[in-house]
Amino acid sequence: MDIFFTVLVFGLLLGGIYGLVSIGLNLIFGVVRIVNFAQGELVMFGMYGGFFAWHWWGINPYLSVFLVAPLVGLLGVAIQRLVIQPLQHEPNMQIFATFGLLMLFQNLMLMVSRGEAYSVGGQVGSTVLTVGDLKLSLVRVVTLVAATLITIGLHLFLARTMTGKAIRAVTQDKRAARAMGINVEKTFLITFGIGAALAGMAGVLLTPIYSITPGVGGNFILAAFAVVVLGGLGSVWGAYLGGLVVGIVEAFAGFYIDPVLRSAVWFVIFLIVLVVKPSGLLGQVGAEEVGFREQH
Amino acid sequence: MRALKSWLAGLVALATLALAPAAQAQAPIKVGALNPYSGPLALYGTEVTRGYELAVDRLNASGGVLGRRFELIRGDVTSPQQGIATVEQLVTRDKVDLFVGTYISAIALTASDAAQRYNKLYWETNALAAQLTERGLPNFVRAGPDGPAFAAMSAAAVRELIAPALKKDMRGLTVWIESEDSIYGTQIAQVQRRILETFGAKIVGFGAHSARTVDLNDTVLRIRQANPDVLVQTGYVPDGNLLLRTLRDQGVKPGAILYVGTGDTPETLQALGEKYMDGILIVGYPRNDITEAFGPGAKAYLEAYRAKYKADPIAPQGMNAYTGFLILAETIKAANSIEPDKIQAAAAKLDKPEHSYPSGHGVKFDKNFQNLRAGLTVSQWQGGKLATVYPKLAVTPGVTLKPLARP
Amino acid sequence: MSSIDGGKDLPRPAAAPARPGAPRHEVIATAQRAWLTYLGGMALAFLPFVAFINDAHWLNILALTYLMGGLAASWNIIGGFGGQFSLGHGVFFAIGAYSTAIFVTRWGVSPWLTMIPIAIFAACVAMLISWPTFRLRGPFFAIATLAFNEVAFVLANHAESLTGGPRGLSIPFKAGLANMIFRDRWAYALLMFAFVALVIALCVWLRRSRLGYYLLAVREDEDAARAAGINVLGVKLKGMALSAGLTAIGGTLFTMYLRYIDPPTLFTLPEVGVKFALLSLIGGIGTIWGPLLGAALIVPFENWLRSAYADSLPGLSLAILGLLMVLAALFMKRGVMGVIDDLLKRRRGKGAS
Repeated sequence: MDIFFTVLVFGLLLGGIYGLVSIGLNLIFGVVRIVNFAQGELVMFGMYGGFFAWHWWGINPYLSVFLVAPLVGLLGVAIQRLVIQPLQHEPNMQIFATFGLLMLFQNLMLMVSRGEAYSVGGQVGSTVLTVGDLKLSLVRVVTLVAATLITIGLHLFLARTMTGKAIRAVTQDKRAARAMGINVEKTFLITFGIGAALAGMAGVLLTPIYSITPGVGGNFILAAFAVVVLGGLGSVWGAYLGGLVVGIVEAFAGFYIDPVLRSAVWFVIFLIVLVVKPSGLLGQVGAEEVGFREQH
Repeated sequence: MRALKSWLAGLVALATLALAPAAQAQAPIKVGALNPYSGPLALYGTEVTRGYELAVDRLNASGGVLGRRFELIRGDVTSPQQGIATVEQLVTRDKVDLFVGTYISAIALTASDAAQRYNKLYWETNALAAQLTERGLPNFVRAGPDGPAFAAMSAAAVRELIAPALKKDMRGLTVWIESEDSIYGTQIAQVQRRILETFGAKIVGFGAHSARTVDLNDTVLRIRQANPDVLVQTGYVPDGNLLLRTLRDQGVKPGAILYVGTGDTPETLQALGEKYMDGILIVGYPRNDITEAFGPGAKAYLEAYRAKYKADPIAPQGMNAYTGFLILAETIKAANSIEPDKIQAAAAKLDKPEHSYPSGHGVKFDKNFQNLRAGLTVSQWQGGKLATVYPKLAVTPGVTLKPLARP
Repeated sequence: MSSIDGGKDLPRPAAAPARPGAPRHEVIATAQRAWLTYLGGMALAFLPFVAFINDAHWLNILALTYLMGGLAASWNIIGGFGGQFSLGHGVFFAIGAYSTAIFVTRWGVSPWLTMIPIAIFAACVAMLISWPTFRLRGPFFAIATLAFNEVAFVLANHAESLTGGPRGLSIPFKAGLANMIFRDRWAYALLMFAFVALVIALCVWLRRSRLGYYLLAVREDEDAARAAGINVLGVKLKGMALSAGLTAIGGTLFTMYLRYIDPPTLFTLPEVGVKFALLSLIGGIGTIWGPLLGAALIVPFENWLRSAYADSLPGLSLAILGLLMVLAALFMKRGVMGVIDDLLKRRRGKGAS
């Protein structure tokens, strides 16, 4: 029973990581509605940003996040304005373009790093909180807390502010939103910017845990997409819960079945959930068929 | 009379001109160096090729071999399909005479096969898969160690270093074997298990994980439950580091940790810190601190590397490649040809004792043309630096094995 | 709408697109014209083969181009005509590859004999796994197919007794037509050409067939198609089955060409599953010649980039490729076929609608 609880906790912490990485994607995916292959690279940039801030100026990642995340956000705005928006009538071509961005970004960092892996040293990564029998890595706890706080904040933002409401309107029906006088293009830009900043933030917060390589974004991206779809498109809490569910399932599958099969297990479960409830856990029933009309 | 004189002079001039070409160098031996120069393993591909370049420099300085200098031509290969395409290109466009390579086994498999269609030698220095030599391709020779050799060295380290340090008998020593799940990790892990079992060790766990995994907590929980004396891991840098971090975070402290192939970079030290890394053992290609007795010319290699590239070697794969290339030159000389069949025939007869080359290699090929005397060493993290600790011949006097346990 | 049942005499759809960005509805050509265009196009595609007949290096690249073109065209059946953006075609490719390798290495059965049964098997698997996922639309569907690819990769890596696991499967070199193993590159190039010729012929036929018409209808507006009486799910399944079967054949050919397969080689998305989609996109998704054009554009170029920049900074060649891909997407919004289409329109004096 003791082990069961330990696995559960580790699953929650892992879920926090997935949730954090997926929050930004959920926003972008919900609004812009494309398979953005470059999303993992935004996380990667966050990681490199966190590393360089630490390496050159000795800034702790928990501080540099306030510098790096907005920068990645600006990059997101640029991507939306220069690449996604011009292709708004060709959604499939958007996918092609984001794939080009993936290759460009990954290989730019390969040129910069020459293939060397980077790691942040110091106390941050090695601090461990002891709660009873459990030893929890501080970074992971912070990640889970951050994911939770951001989810709450985002929920409030979308529910209470005008911009947030505009984003929700555009998510539901772009044409109707435009008819209501909402500047859809500007909303897209804001959304992509926020989503990218969140991805960058996730990257910075994860800097102390991982070896940073140009391809590191690819480790998260598949899971992030599945989490977003699993959680239910457009639902902020859906992505968060989806992340937790995936983390827990993966942890249990890894421990009780076989670590090698863990990703296969949760992907199978993902597919089963989609078959049973195609709109995802918290999505509106039938959303994928009727509610969310095609945006192009 | 004057006409005859000038006629004779012309004849002499002509004769001199006719004889002169024989004194000139013949066409260079063009060597295609197949490695990943783009993609995530570009660092190692480049490092290995630097080893080739230094070997070429040294060989050309003394006139090359068979009166011909060497010329290296790079071929970028990052997938097996690309292996074929690049071989085709180097043969038809660049007219290479033979190939050396190749950091990745899957690529070596297809590229060497393609080279065989053109009857070109494929001289392997670094790729590890046993099937590369086991398939018996007539143009393939491997001068460097194979996966099983790494496994054998790991098992030797457990028996000669770890068991005595832990004051335990091999029989009943509990071992957890962990690896990444591609051909590289799984093959070495399987042979490790086999050898360790013959030594009498008890394998309490045999785990695998994806090299790109985001989380290893489940693996470490299992390790914690099994509570092994020794943890052996074969993998790449990201997963190796993540495993150490997770072990540290969960407070799992095996009596000894042995890493194969990675765990030896400055970045790992950065990530885990000197205090944690101290004591961890690494099985790998011989490093620059080995004794001249173990690897004659290792110091000279280091100096040449620093002079040419203005930096320290990035990974020991480079010196291993350098050595492999030197052995190639010797074999060409012995065969007096670069044709694969003559090379294999000459290689079969070569017999040089261990420790004849900078990486500690000797030369003795088995029937599949795998070099049985390829050099490998075990190092240990000591005070933030790696020191070679095994075999005894390679150890710098004054260096001893430090405690193995985690802090 | 009763003319749908008519079969051969299909009504001519409007020349102007229904909404911005939708693919243009061409006037459906007569059978004669369609097939003459096909023959002309394939003859054009065959020219490089003749031109490079003595250059093994280029023949090799040509063989790969034809193969990738055929695979992209197979994908295009469900991805382009059908509008179902699948990123999981690597699964069917792998089924073709592994099945062929297993039959050859274990029981010595010629790939020619097993090719069709394997394709049918792949088609069945495709229908099975697509049936529940076709409820999803657009990007949701794409991500679900990514999940399939991932699961298949893990299974292939794990089922060592069947697939060789991480070691993969190796087919020894035994030249011979019956073995589908050739000493000369021109033979492979010819084989791949036959493959892409077959696939494109099927596409030409499909485009003019009822199934093709239904697929296009489903792509344009699924709800309207359903309202019109089309069995949407059935159409999608048939399209997917055909697409998957052809992809599996491509997998067979790939295996006999490379003679070594392992999970990374077959399931790495940018090299395989996603690449089929990408080639179709850049060539012109939903068109007949787009996939082959995309392959002709990207495959040789990629090769050249790598060899040209082998000595430079690692990653430079692929960074350039990525940048060019972005630029190509921005300036060739409907792919190469779109550009050709625009040029022809301008020539004929018709304004862009």
